[in-house]
Formats: sequence, structure tokens, C-alpha cells
Amino acid sequence: MKQRFFLLSAVFVVAFALLIAGPVAYAAEPIVIGVPTSLGFLEGKESHKAVQLAVSEINARGGVMVGGGKRPFKVVAADLRDAAAGVPVPEALLGLEKLILEQKPTAILVGPFRSEALLAGMDIFAKYKMPMLGTVAMSPATEAKIKKDPEKYKYVFRVSLNVIYWVKLLAGTNATLKQEFGFDKVYIMNQDVAWARGTAAGMEKKVYPGLKMEVVGHDQFPTGFSDFSSTLMKAKSKGAGVLFTCFDMPESGVLVKQWKSLRVPGLIAGFISPMAGEAAWATFDGKIGGLMNAIFELGNIPSQKYAPARNFYNKYKNTYGKGIQSGHGPAPSYESVYILKEAIERAGSLDPDAIVAEIEKTDRKGVMGRIRFDEGHQVVYGTDPAETAVGAFFQWTDDGKRKIVYPKSLAEGEIVLPSWVKKR
Amino acid sequence: MLANTIVYGFVNSVILMLVALGFNLTFGISGVANFAYGALYILGALLCWIFFNSLGLPYLIAVILAVALTAVAGALMYQFILLRIRGMALSEVIATFGIGLAILELLKYLGFIGFEYSLPVFIDESIEFGQVIIDLQRIFIVIIGVAMAGFLWIFTHHSRTGLRFRGIAQDERTALSLGINSDRVAMLSVAFGAAYAAVAAIVILPLGTINVEQGYSVLINALAVCIVGGLGSTGGVVLASFLIGYGQTFTVTYLESHWVMLVPLIAILVILVIKPSGLFGVQKELEERI
Repeated sequence: MKQRFFLLSAVFVVAFALLIAGPVAYAAEPIVIGVPTSLGFLEGKESHKAVQLAVSEINARGGVMVGGGKRPFKVVAADLRDAAAGVPVPEALLGLEKLILEQKPTAILVGPFRSEALLAGMDIFAKYKMPMLGTVAMSPATEAKIKKDPEKYKYVFRVSLNVIYWVKLLAGTNATLKQEFGFDKVYIMNQDVAWARGTAAGMEKKVYPGLKMEVVGHDQFPTGFSDFSSTLMKAKSKGAGVLFTCFDMPESGVLVKQWKSLRVPGLIAGFISPMAGEAAWATFDGKIGGLMNAIFELGNIPSQKYAPARNFYNKYKNTYGKGIQSGHGPAPSYESVYILKEAIERAGSLDPDAIVAEIEKTDRKGVMGRIRFDEGHQVVYGTDPAETAVGAFFQWTDDGKRKIVYPKSLAEGEIVLPSWVKKR
Repeated sequence: MLANTIVYGFVNSVILMLVALGFNLTFGISGVANFAYGALYILGALLCWIFFNSLGLPYLIAVILAVALTAVAGALMYQFILLRIRGMALSEVIATFGIGLAILELLKYLGFIGFEYSLPVFIDESIEFGQVIIDLQRIFIVIIGVAMAGFLWIFTHHSRTGLRFRGIAQDERTALSLGINSDRVAMLSVAFGAAYAAVAAIVILPLGTINVEQGYSVLINALAVCIVGGLGSTGGVVLASFLIGYGQTFTVTYLESHWVMLVPLIAILVILVIKPSGLFGVQKELEERI
């Protein structure tokens, strides 16, 4: 009898506790935003946080005006793991479809991490008429698909840089290096993944011949490889002035350490993901001075000359306790929430076709610069934030600062060669 | 170029050997193919990082604690899970693989994502001899690798526990009849293997940063070396490490770098065709016994 009493009491207490601690109740029904991406990877994790930051700002001001009243955003994330080694694309797409069917989002932001998954996922977005503002995967093949069948694939947009604009950013920086320092030989090193292969191929076949810079070697490394000494020695023996790099794997930090210890007389100028964030200085014991690294979208690095980028960066840092570490993803992810908000408000409804039509008309001053989409649903990038969105190159100074050195509209100083690298 | 290739090939070979020793030790003694090995490798490194950076302990204390805790993790894994399925090879593989996945995903869930997790190098200098420049951390890795291999030999030949290890590895039933507790020895071998993984991580990972995804590639490398060298054979692991290490380094220097991951896979294929038990393998295939 006593036992039954206690058991029943326990049941009542638990039930009462569950009722009190129930799901968060919104005053109005929230508008669901899905964020399916590789959350276990830095770019995915920080992009998700950037979305949450924007959502919290919008909700703090009442939410999105639609249907005669304001409704808050609600973020639902899913880890697709498409960037993890060995995860097949169909498995990642299952996760994407599960999110869409179970959570019924109004739009998807950030999207699949790898271009292979995004390209395959475009049919899912078409099937469910799901607006998608991508901010990580970079293949321009998505735009080609959209232009080929605009009615079917109109739901897919990209807010971040794509490979074509990325190569243009690289071309501009390399032209500057040739002009200022006389570097006319390049050694290309890239990771063996789609975006890096595409970038390296574009540089080798189109950019460097156009700049009259000779490619003296080109090595590709599988994800996980961690000894770059042979390649660096080859670059040294062939007199390369520029070491063009394209890596997002953690082992690529070894490359910079070996570059310094081997005193390879060429300037690293490319993208090495571990070197992008402000924490890299402490992580690598201050041994990365002189390295030039790309930031795919302004806002992922603060700018002394463009306040919206600086303000976003500082807001992120104050909210999460540390600055953005990735060079790609967070700024366009933050921006995409506002793009979606404004599109919904202009459309006056959550109808996907109406939202898509309004996203296409976007023209706003954002954290990356001026945000407009082209006919392939790609944000236009250039070199002046007053006219286009902008990516940038920075150089690590010997006292641990990241100084933007390209484009000229945002440059905070000149490019300085490390002591063992000489002008040609 | 050749001198550089030979020197760095040697270093890369020792790195492979250091990575594979713990895996080989566990399999050779207990017969358990520990597919959580890569996860224990990363766990050891991150524990050291936590003790050193978050708790502010002196680095040597952080290292000792990290190695000890990783060994304990290995022992607990054996005692609570593997003991119940001992002898069922497929179940052991599945269980350890699942545990490894769980550890790595838990680490990601706890926020260990990004490039800010690194361990300090032993000495941050380089030395030059002839045309070869090499950083002292790599030389330190070679010293530790040789020392660990030597320690393993001395331990298994001149210590009571080590002799018990060899007894179980040679003939478990006879060892049991002599009063050697095979389950306890197996647990100790898993713990030792985990400790070796932690030591390898703490010594190797200062070259770059600690990243959870590396747990998967470490397991593949360890597996490749042990299969080629012969599961259970330390001599085989040493030889296989050098074959694969030099194979990879020469491939990058003189062929194409993107074929480098084919080297261990081709080595596995070749050895499975020619001598399936591995170069110095002790697990004899039927064809080899006849």
C-alpha cells in the first residue's frame, strides 16, 4: 500500500514537472528555418551560430511581419555529416529530406556542406518547393542547373562566394603579388576535394597563364595527409615565388609550420582553413607571421573600412565569447536570415514561389557589402562593398594581427614579405 | 631532394610505427582488433589539452594524467563490454567500432570542433644538416618512437606482466593452466594499447592541430600497417611501417601526391594475395600451414 502510494506520487510529480517544463511557447506560431549542414565542422558550426544570432536579433524586435502580424523565427538544425570522410551523399540527403518532412521549414539556410551533396539535393528542394539560401558549398554547377531549368530549380540560391568569384579574388591577389614583387613562378598545392580541385584547375588553366605566371608544380593531397616536406622542397628547388594553397583540413596547419622550418623562399597565398581565424595566432604559437590567407566573405573578418562587417564580427564575438574562426560561411549565413525576412515581408506570405520571387529582387547593404543575386541565383561578388559583396585577402603580421591587404578598397596596409622571401 | 626524401621518409615511417604499436599490442595479446583505437588516440590528445590549457596543470603532469586516463578508458571498455563478447571476433569489431564512433561524436558534441586545439611542441627549433632542414619535434618523435618500441620489447621479455602477455599470446590454454588470468591480461593489453595511442597522439599531434576527424584516418593507418606487418608481430609492424612510410614519401616526391593514400591500400592487397598472415604474422592461414 505504501509502495503504491509512493509510486503514484512519483508519477504525478514527474507529470507535473513535464507540464511545467514543456516546450517553449511562442505567442505566435513560429516560422521554421531549417539549417541542415555538417554541424561537426567549423564552417557548419559557426554558420549555424550566425543564423541563430540573426534570428535572436529579429525575434528581439518582434519577429517577421507576415499575414497581418509578427511571427518569430525558429531554427531547427540537422547534422548531415556530408563533410565527414566516408559518408555517402545519399545518406546525407536522407537527413535533409527527414528535416524537411518532419520539421516543415519555410526555408533552408546554410545547406549541404559539400557541393556533391548540394548538387544532388537540388532535386529535393525542387520536389518540396523549398527555398534554400546556401552559404557553404561553392560549385558553380548549381547556377548552371538553375539556368538550364529555372522553373524547377528556382528555389536554390547561394549567398556565399562560389568558385568563379573565388578564383577572381585569387587572380586579383596574384596579379598584385606579381606587380609588387615580381613573382612569376607558382607552385600549386591543394586538397583532393571538389572545391579545391576546381579552384586549382581554374588557376592553373586560366588565371596563371593570363597573368603570365609559370606553374612549376602542382600537387594534390588526400584529406588527412600531414607531411608536405617533399612538395615544399620541390617548390624550393624550382624557385616558386608564390605557393598557392587550397585546404580546409586540419592537417594543413602542418604545411605552414614546415614552410617556416624549411625556409621555403616563396610566399604562401591561398586558403588554409586553420589559419583563417584570430585564434590561429595562439594555436600556432605566433609562428604564422607573413602568411597570406583568404577570407571568402567580408564579415568573417572585421574591416576597419566597412562598418557593417566590423559590427557583425564584434556582435558575434560578444555573443559567443570568441571571434569567427572560419573564413567561409558565417557572414553569408547571418545575411541570409535577413534576406529571407525581407523577402517574406515583401511577399506578405510564406508561399515558396512568392518568397523566391522576392529573394530574386533582393538589393540590400549587408555585412559582406551590397547583396544582389544574378540570374543563376548567385550573389554578385566584386572588389567594392558599395557595389557588390566582397571577399578579401589578409596577411598575418608579426605581432599577431590580421591586416586586410586586398582589395584596395578595403586594404589596411601593404603586403610585407617574410625575411627569407625576397622580391624577384 | 633524395636526402630530404630519405630523412622525412624515416620520420614518417616512425610516425606510422608509433601509431600502429598500440593497436598491434592489443591484438597480439588479447586477439581484440580494437577499432576504437583512433578514438582513444584523439581522446588522449584532448585530455592532455584539457589538463594543460583548461586546468592549467604543468605539461608533464598533464601528459601523465592523459595517458593514465586513456589507459583506464581502454580497461573499462574491455571490462564492461568486450569481456562479454570475447572470442566473437565480428562482435568485437562491431562493438569497438561503435565505441570509437561514440567517443568521437561525443567529443564533437562537447564542442571540440575547430582548429584551436593544439599541443605544444617539445622544442620549437629546426636543425640543418647538409641540404636537409628538419624541425626538432620530428626528431623528438623518432626518439620517442624508438624508445616506445624498445620499451615494448624489454617489457614483454623482462617483466612479469610482459611475460604473461607473451604467454597468453602464445597459447592461452597453457597459460591458463599455469594460473595466468587471461581476462585480466587481456584487459591490461587493451589498457596498454590505449596508453600507447595516447602517447603517440601527444608526441605526433603538436605537428599540427587536434581534430576529431583524425581519429578515423589514424585507425586506417594503424590497420594497414598491422595487416601488412602481421597482426600480433612487433617486428612486422616495424618493417611494414618503413615499407609504407617510405612508399608514401617517395610517391609524393617522385610520382603524384594524390596517389599517396593508395600506397597502404596496395600494400594490403599485395600482402593478402602473397602472404595473408602478413610479413611476420603469427596467425597462420591454412594454406600457409600446409
